[in-house]
Amino acid sequence: MSPRVVAATLVVRIRSLYRERSALFFTFAFPIILVLVFGAIFTRPERLNFELPVQDHSRSEASARLLEGFTADHVFTILPVPLDVDPALYAREHKLTLLLVIPSEFQSWHDLRAVERDAAAGAPLTYVHDPSSTSVDTKIQLLNSIVAAANQRYSGATAFITLVPQSILSGTYRFIEFFVPGIIAMAIMTSALSNALNSNAELRQKGILRKLAATPITRADWLVSSILYQLMLAVVSTGAILLTSYLVFDVRLHIDMWLPLIVAVEVFAFVGIGMTLTPLAKEAESASAVSNAVLFPMMFLSGTFFPVEMMPGFLQTVARFLPLYYVNEALRAAMIFADSASALRWSSILAAFAAAAFVAGTIRTRWGE
Amino acid sequence: MSGDKEHAIVVENLTKDYGDIRAVDDVSFTVKRGEVFAFLGPNGAGKTTTVEIIETIRAPTSGRVSVLGLDVATSRGAIIPRIGVLPQGFNSFDRITVAESIRFYSRLFGGSAADVDGLMDLTELREKRDVQFKNLSGGLKQRLGIAIALVNDPEVVFLDEPTTGLDPHARRAVWSVLQGLKSKGKTVFLTTHYMEEAELLADTVAIISSGRIVATGSPARLTEMHTEQLRVTLSPGDAASIDLIQRMGFNPARTIDDGVDIPVRTSDDVLGILAAIREAGLPAPSGLEVRRPTLEEVFLKLTSEPPAERSRRSAP
Ligand SMILES: Nc1ncnc2c1ncn2[C@@H]1O[C@H](COP(=O)(O)OP(=O)(O)O)[C@@H](O)[C@H]1O
Ligand SMILES: [Mg+2]
Repeated sequence: MSPRVVAATLVVRIRSLYRERSALFFTFAFPIILVLVFGAIFTRPERLNFELPVQDHSRSEASARLLEGFTADHVFTILPVPLDVDPALYAREHKLTLLLVIPSEFQSWHDLRAVERDAAAGAPLTYVHDPSSTSVDTKIQLLNSIVAAANQRYSGATAFITLVPQSILSGTYRFIEFFVPGIIAMAIMTSALSNALNSNAELRQKGILRKLAATPITRADWLVSSILYQLMLAVVSTGAILLTSYLVFDVRLHIDMWLPLIVAVEVFAFVGIGMTLTPLAKEAESASAVSNAVLFPMMFLSGTFFPVEMMPGFLQTVARFLPLYYVNEALRAAMIFADSASALRWSSILAAFAAAAFVAGTIRTRWGE
Repeated sequence: MSGDKEHAIVVENLTKDYGDIRAVDDVSFTVKRGEVFAFLGPNGAGKTTTVEIIETIRAPTSGRVSVLGLDVATSRGAIIPRIGVLPQGFNSFDRITVAESIRFYSRLFGGSAADVDGLMDLTELREKRDVQFKNLSGGLKQRLGIAIALVNDPEVVFLDEPTTGLDPHARRAVWSVLQGLKSKGKTVFLTTHYMEEAELLADTVAIISSGRIVATGSPARLTEMHTEQLRVTLSPGDAASIDLIQRMGFNPARTIDDGVDIPVRTSDDVLGILAAIREAGLPAPSGLEVRRPTLEEVFLKLTSEPPAERSRRSAP
């Protein structure tokens, strides 16, 4: 390997990138835009707040007290529903996912229990719900827990078991804090893989690789320069993502030596995978098809946008075979949990991936023919 | 072979197969030091395959090739620094300028940046030094390719179809650069499918067709060897004259511009035909041309064999 040759090649790559505005955009601006968009979507008020349509046939002191329980802590905002409509029809028409019905007998049921101490008295409330909605389960759970607390009060005893929250995080974190490491991982993967594939296919198609074959540059020179180039891009885009998320969303993550280490291993892994796939992508057109075929499933199955635990079991198994999964886990362990032991474990698995991809890639890379 | 001071390139029984296709079939030839050697053949004849084997970037199926006394199979590292290559359809990095491209390639060979200006002068690219590759015209791209092929001051320069696809002006500009190379005493290996190019530039021409060399020699010798005839063209050629010439035992043919074309053996035949026309009282032709057949005619004759043989592969 010759440092002079590596440096000359690196200069050509950097100049080419700098002079191609669209490449610059996709390398740096795209991840930043993702941070901004997702940050805006997922930045919620401190507490959850859902709307709860209620058809209150009772309109009594007891029902008012019950509804107060729902609005306490701003969990729900009550939306009154007209009394003369069929609740199910109304919910369908107005696209409501959950609608609570309080029967007109509610006050008398309340009196039976609270005044006359009739232990057998009950107060069935109906809720109309749309089981196909993704948010309805959360709302029903909240509803249940508030009803449980109300029942507790009716029984007159103080609660025996109570839950005291204690966060495993080293600070108070929002979704955006989970999201940022995923975006860093994704930006590096996209850049390393698509660059390895597209630029190689383009250089091959134009005959530049063939011309290089007739010069003293070696495969090692070429490889080292592509890795240095990708490392440089990774540093810049990681910095840009962290800076944006800090300035705009005040995201403060734990940054120590694990971050550059994981980023470097990720670059190796995906440059290696890119090299392995290069022979499949001889033309520029097939190169983007091949890189998309790898990038998209990887992005969605590896926990970039949502936790892997939210997926069905077999997909969770699939995720364990994807290198990006380990990048996400390692970056989150290091940056959110400040957990060096986990960071080491995940990045070791990633390093094994990188080594395998590199060996395969080196074997498959050829200059001519 | 290593002690060969006379020859820059020696190719012996070179064969190259791509799967079932025999692209180069038992080819042998030599290129002398300091000469311009033109490898002339139609598309698909096997020129690029042969030249890239000599450049050490493709491997032969069988045969021996040596460049500057070094075997291509074993001495790639020693050969590369001493040769310069303009690949077919040369391209450089789109957004890199002329001067930057030359400097980049000269760095690959370990050269300093000092000779960049000299190379731009030689290829008349000085004014274009800061133009990005993608904004160069075809002719300028090829001239840049030639400049890049020279960054290591090579002893042998390979140029694979340097003027294909260029307009006549751009082609002439490339030719003048190539003549400059010749005068600097470089050995030049040129592939082309333009006869005029070979005729103008080459000391030696090898004609390749369907993977086989069908003729080798200087342009003049090739035309001599492969045609025992002169051609006379008279214009205009009226019907009576044609009739008369035919009766004299020649084989005249009308040309598209109303002249008449007659293959003859000697210049005496020409005088005889003119005398006969005058004696018969026919109008004297206003135009008369006597010439040797061009290399083009030789080339067409030699390469008009049907290329059906191409895919038939002899048993190993
Ligand atoms: N890499 C290759 N794989 C398969 N066939 C090839 C390859 N390169 C050239 N050929 C075939 O070999 C023959 C000679 O090609 P080539 O050497 O490029 O000819 P030329 O340069 O004279 O046009 C052609 O039939 C071509 O299709
Ligand atoms: Mg060719």
